[in-house]
Amino acid sequence: MDSKITIRIDGELVKADRGSTIFETAKAAGKRIPGLCNMKGLKPVGACRLCMVEVAGVNRLLPSCTTPAQEGMSVTIHSARLDAYRKQALELLLSERNHVCAVCVSNGHCELQSLATALGVTNVRYGYRYPKLGVDLSHPRYVLDHNRCILCTRCVRVCAEVEGAHVWDIAGRGIHSMLTCEMNRTWGGSRNCTSCGKCVQVCPTGALAEKGFAVEEMVKRTTSVERLAVVRGGSR
Amino acid sequence: MKRITDLSSFNAAHEAGLKKLLPAAGRIAVGMGTCGVGNGAEGLYHALSDGIQGRGLGFHLAQVGCYGPCSEEPLVNVWLPGKPLVILHKVQAQDVAALLDDLSAGRIPEELALCKVEEWDHITGRVKYGSGLPDLPKWDEIPFFAGQSKIVLRNCGLINPGDIEEYLAVGGYQALYKVLIDANPEMVIEQIKAAKLRGRGGAGYQTGLKWDMLRKAVADQKYLICNADEGDPGAYMNRNEIEGDPHGLIEGMVIGGYVTGATEGILYVRAEYPLAVHRLNLAIQEAEERGLLGENILGRGFSFKLSLVEGAGAFVCGEETALIQSLEGRAGRPTPRPPYPAESGLWGTPTNINNVETWYNVAPIVVKGPAWFTETGSPKSPGTKVFSLVGKVQRTGLVEMPLGTPLKTFVYDIGGGAPPMKTVKSVQTGGPSGGCIPKEMFDTPVDYETLAQLGSIMGSGGMVVMDEDNCMVDVARYFIEFTHSESCGKCVPCRVGLDQMLAILNRFTAGKATEADLGMLDELSRMIRDMSLCGLGQTAPNPVLTTLRHFRQEFEDHLRAHRCRAGVCENLALSPCENSCPLHMNIPRFLELLKADRLEDAFLSVVMDNPLPASTGRVCQHPCDNRCRRAGIDEAVNMRDVHCYIADSIYKGGRYDEMIERVLQHRFPPTGRKVAIVGAGPTGLTCAFYLAMMGHSVTVYENNADAGGMLRYALPEYRLPKSVLDDELKLIYRLGVEFVFNSVVGETITLNDLSTMYDGVFLSIGTWKETWVYLPGTELKGVLHALPFLEALSKEEQVPLGRKVVVIGGGNAAIDSARTALRMGAEVTVIYRRERKDMPAIPEETEAAEDEGVKYVFLAAPHRIVSGEEGGVVAIECAKTTLGEFDSSGRRKPVPTGEIQRFECDTVILAVGETVDLDFLKASGLKLKEKEKMLDVSPFTLETSRSNFYAGGDLISGASNVSNAMGYGKKAARNMDQKLMGAFRWPKLWPEFEYSMVPPAHVSECRRHHIHELPADERAKGFMEAVTGLTAVEAMEETGRCLRCDIREGNH
Amino acid sequence: MSGQAKVKLATAWLDGCSGCHMSLLDVDELLVALVERVELVYGPLVDAPEYPDAVDVALVEGAVSSVGDQKLAQTIRAKTRILISLGDCAVTSNVPSMRNTIPVQKLLERVYIEGADAAQAIPADGVPALLRHAVPLADVVKVDIHIPGCPPKPGAIAHVLTSLLDGKKPELTGLVKFG
Repeated sequence: MDSKITIRIDGELVKADRGSTIFETAKAAGKRIPGLCNMKGLKPVGACRLCMVEVAGVNRLLPSCTTPAQEGMSVTIHSARLDAYRKQALELLLSERNHVCAVCVSNGHCELQSLATALGVTNVRYGYRYPKLGVDLSHPRYVLDHNRCILCTRCVRVCAEVEGAHVWDIAGRGIHSMLTCEMNRTWGGSRNCTSCGKCVQVCPTGALAEKGFAVEEMVKRTTSVERLAVVRGGSR
Repeated sequence: MKRITDLSSFNAAHEAGLKKLLPAAGRIAVGMGTCGVGNGAEGLYHALSDGIQGRGLGFHLAQVGCYGPCSEEPLVNVWLPGKPLVILHKVQAQDVAALLDDLSAGRIPEELALCKVEEWDHITGRVKYGSGLPDLPKWDEIPFFAGQSKIVLRNCGLINPGDIEEYLAVGGYQALYKVLIDANPEMVIEQIKAAKLRGRGGAGYQTGLKWDMLRKAVADQKYLICNADEGDPGAYMNRNEIEGDPHGLIEGMVIGGYVTGATEGILYVRAEYPLAVHRLNLAIQEAEERGLLGENILGRGFSFKLSLVEGAGAFVCGEETALIQSLEGRAGRPTPRPPYPAESGLWGTPTNINNVETWYNVAPIVVKGPAWFTETGSPKSPGTKVFSLVGKVQRTGLVEMPLGTPLKTFVYDIGGGAPPMKTVKSVQTGGPSGGCIPKEMFDTPVDYETLAQLGSIMGSGGMVVMDEDNCMVDVARYFIEFTHSESCGKCVPCRVGLDQMLAILNRFTAGKATEADLGMLDELSRMIRDMSLCGLGQTAPNPVLTTLRHFRQEFEDHLRAHRCRAGVCENLALSPCENSCPLHMNIPRFLELLKADRLEDAFLSVVMDNPLPASTGRVCQHPCDNRCRRAGIDEAVNMRDVHCYIADSIYKGGRYDEMIERVLQHRFPPTGRKVAIVGAGPTGLTCAFYLAMMGHSVTVYENNADAGGMLRYALPEYRLPKSVLDDELKLIYRLGVEFVFNSVVGETITLNDLSTMYDGVFLSIGTWKETWVYLPGTELKGVLHALPFLEALSKEEQVPLGRKVVVIGGGNAAIDSARTALRMGAEVTVIYRRERKDMPAIPEETEAAEDEGVKYVFLAAPHRIVSGEEGGVVAIECAKTTLGEFDSSGRRKPVPTGEIQRFECDTVILAVGETVDLDFLKASGLKLKEKEKMLDVSPFTLETSRSNFYAGGDLISGASNVSNAMGYGKKAARNMDQKLMGAFRWPKLWPEFEYSMVPPAHVSECRRHHIHELPADERAKGFMEAVTGLTAVEAMEETGRCLRCDIREGNH
Repeated sequence: MSGQAKVKLATAWLDGCSGCHMSLLDVDELLVALVERVELVYGPLVDAPEYPDAVDVALVEGAVSSVGDQKLAQTIRAKTRILISLGDCAVTSNVPSMRNTIPVQKLLERVYIEGADAAQAIPADGVPALLRHAVPLADVVKVDIHIPGCPPKPGAIAHVLTSLLDGKKPELTGLVKFG
């Protein structure tokens, strides 16, 4: 069996490794599909829904991060509907918590912020929720600011799948979902945390950061963790 | 317990079971599902048990599941040898003694009986009970069961769920036996495929295909899962199925296990169903002991383990991937598919998940074959589905109907339609993520595809009926609140989208929504539907999308008019009575003012809200009565007659002129604007009153010689004395309103003339033209039309009337004509094509007419009027009708039977409806609607297609009633003033009233007072007013009965 | 362009730091071109006591935090053709919204009583009451164009103004960012 297949992305023929996802195939071909929860080396969860694409012959939208590319598939990354939906999803994320970019450590280096710029989100039409959320400063080296968390679960997965510590999980449900540390411990009180900092580096926003950094100073090294994750054999 | 290993031991258990079902001494079984227990079945069971033991009777007493009709609980079925099985309903513990007396004497207490069963088809077997008791209807002859087809519920309510032998007695486990002996799993899967059995959990995927996938999956371990995590509010079919027949589910799963090669089955049961969990555990234990489950089943070498897991209490665990997560000990959050459970499910092994009800269909298909199965239901969706029919219907319960049955069968035939005086508006199918289907679409067959086309879903089979008291915006809000709180939070559209949607809907119900919100709601719904990860998010917007599509008007009412017609959204209404009043009278206020003995203030309050309070006080249809919360205690407060009392007291009390001066004090200074009103009926007069109060100069054009319209020329003197009307008009004259009588707009003056002479024009012409009916003989002498007849009399013209009069129709005009003819000495019969309860006339009027001697003939449609030799009427022939199917108004359509009845008469009065002058409408050049029969106006401002021309009353709504008409006049005045003045001055018109805003410490326990009718024979002699109003004491007592719904936390 | 009536431009400063106005002044040489085509009729940069009628374009900086902000925003909307929210505070409510999780009374007490060494009293006279939340301008009135940024880039402001003057719809995708 040939290890390569051919699919069509936005009209263009693209070679793909058999078994790779639409997201990976597009990326390899230099076509970026927007996304916030997906990360190379981590098990995809299909949570942010920004990477949804249209596939010819399928009457619903499919998450490109979990859908395998198949021979002959014709994928549309950009359509009026998809672009509008993605903008809506970003607006929803921005309205959910207190994303005050101007005073955020990740200002200028934030995936949420730069995606908003790229997709033309200039304002949020939904009412800001202004939830009252805490900041966990108990860890000697790191900070968890729930105000900036988008619940992408990259930290949960990198800690469980790559570091093997399983410090993080999601508690609660619906709009009350919260990142939680080991059955509701403070981060500083964690028994399993190895202080490796992978979670901080993969966090797309300013929710997880190193202490000692001021506004705009926190630059994440996501790609180096990606490389490590792939070596460690996290799924895909 | 003896293991069943061969045919003889199988048959022995079967026989033992039959002896329990049909014991020689007779059997009594109590319906003890959760529903029955909730209605007192447990006490009943113990009372029966004590009674049987105490008296030493030989009856076999058993517990059974629920037979279906929830509104008839508790249910008891009794059987005496040779007789049919009889289902008794609403049995109470105090009935037990008499019941046992009867049964021990060999008598069936027929007064408690709902229906009888002579022979029952358990599908897998038949039980013959006996015959007799001819007066009792058979089970499928009573409306609730008519048309039902019990396949899934084949055993529910008839056998003891705690006794495996009774299940064996009705053919249970035969299908399993057959499958194991045939030892041909592929054939069974082919049968399920051929039967086109579709998943009953709601998605409707072909069960046979899913089984095939699992069979073909190569793995050491494979799982079967039964999804019994029924979490929809208002849905309880799975609970009752399990509680009534646990073995039916087990048998289906064991067969599934054998044919798919699964080694283990798991029942994921909702933890909130303790009785179902208990009975299922018991049944698993019994089946294992009998060798029907576990190792070496039926001695055929096949082993299948079944275990029960209690659900984690999350709605989202109904989603298969979330259910698997939950079974693995994780939080119930769905995972993306692929991989599908058939490849990698529980613990990463191939897994198949089916809903409870799907499993129940397995044994019948195996025993009877796919051809039998596809006979029921629709071609694409064969078989039946169990629905929980709840909400605003007279009969509720679990109903099992063939797929493809039209919705109206559920609502009207089985459910019996809305409660009295109410109209069904919509049905919501499929639980919280289903859609709302309007009554106009009740012909819709209930199957997977059709429901999906309408934006709804089959879901697990919830069916919630709603009537006019349900606000569709609030309904949508309620369901989004539910799915919002049940969202797992994993994906963004569902987690944040539903939260934003709920915020928007909360703004709607609070009257704070904006135009942008309406568009945003639609846009968000589509995004959440298309972008969410699992079924919960993908279907959650359905209630919003369907209500936006079918009930957009209600959203617009909340948004633009700050109005909730159903009176549900508290922030948008003062009180239920005010909300239902077409004039939005502040009813609690005038009641409270009168209660404080402030008659003149009460009158000011009344007259400012309603400038014709004594007329409406006599003839209003009083919608307020239907909404009054006091009716929940005893009867509604008599609001109409109290304001009639207040008005009459002022008119007769000698201080009316001073009161007029008080009203005039609140008049705005002259504006210099001139307004013309066309038509001096109640609509025009109301509009004139308010516009004059706001300082405009008002001229009313009227084609008659006096003001009042229908009030003067259609209502007979005995209902509304002209002197009362004249009293009320005094106020309007004193406001300086000018009248131009005998002036026909379109002839003596044109709309263009009005346009040049006035700053604004209000059109309010009544429905004076009789509807044309096709009826041979209408041209005959002696055939009259109701309105011209009444009009001529009110103008004191001579009308030749015979001795025997037949009135055709059932509205107020028909009853007015009948009572008038009676007073002229005729013998009167009213003929109406539907039933009495369908008559649009005010019920009090219908009854009063009957007391005076008017006769009624119902279910008769006029066929022809017969002429005599001199060309006059000698008789009318009517076709007898029966009631056929329900039409979109929720009433049954009269269908002629062909049988002709003849009524001798010399006069026929036709009162079959009136319309406005269509020629006038067409000549007006204004935009029309409804097949060119009505004027098209903005529903919020009443402005027509011509700027500054407004219209109201019958012109825009068709024939209506006085209060509705006046409501339009009031609304038009408000909007015309705003347009003329460019400012919203309306609220400033009302004086400040100081009155108690403290909930009454003591609410009068007195019953409702009614007005007093003169004795029928006396009042029928002439045209004096037929009633006398409330006395001062009675009116005062009525005010004390008000519960003051207008007082709420934070508004006083 | 000369001979034609100048476009009437207004600016306003609600709950913000004036950084957006600084950014406006930072458009460099465009200022010269603007002066020829635009008449500045209201705002902190000119001396005009009342918001004039028939303004063509208004740039509004700051979140809506008080009753006073709310009134001014409504006045501006009623008298302006194209209303632009300028900067993150006006667009997202930004830093002013950081007080939104604290009840107003508690906030005032913390600042003016607990936090004050002398004259511990919540100011009442001549100060407009705070709203429950500091909210984006678009929550209060309809906004036509949003220029986010803290501060918004002068280039983005210049692009919007020149597009409007040329009768074109500004396209901001890729040009602006929050923060």
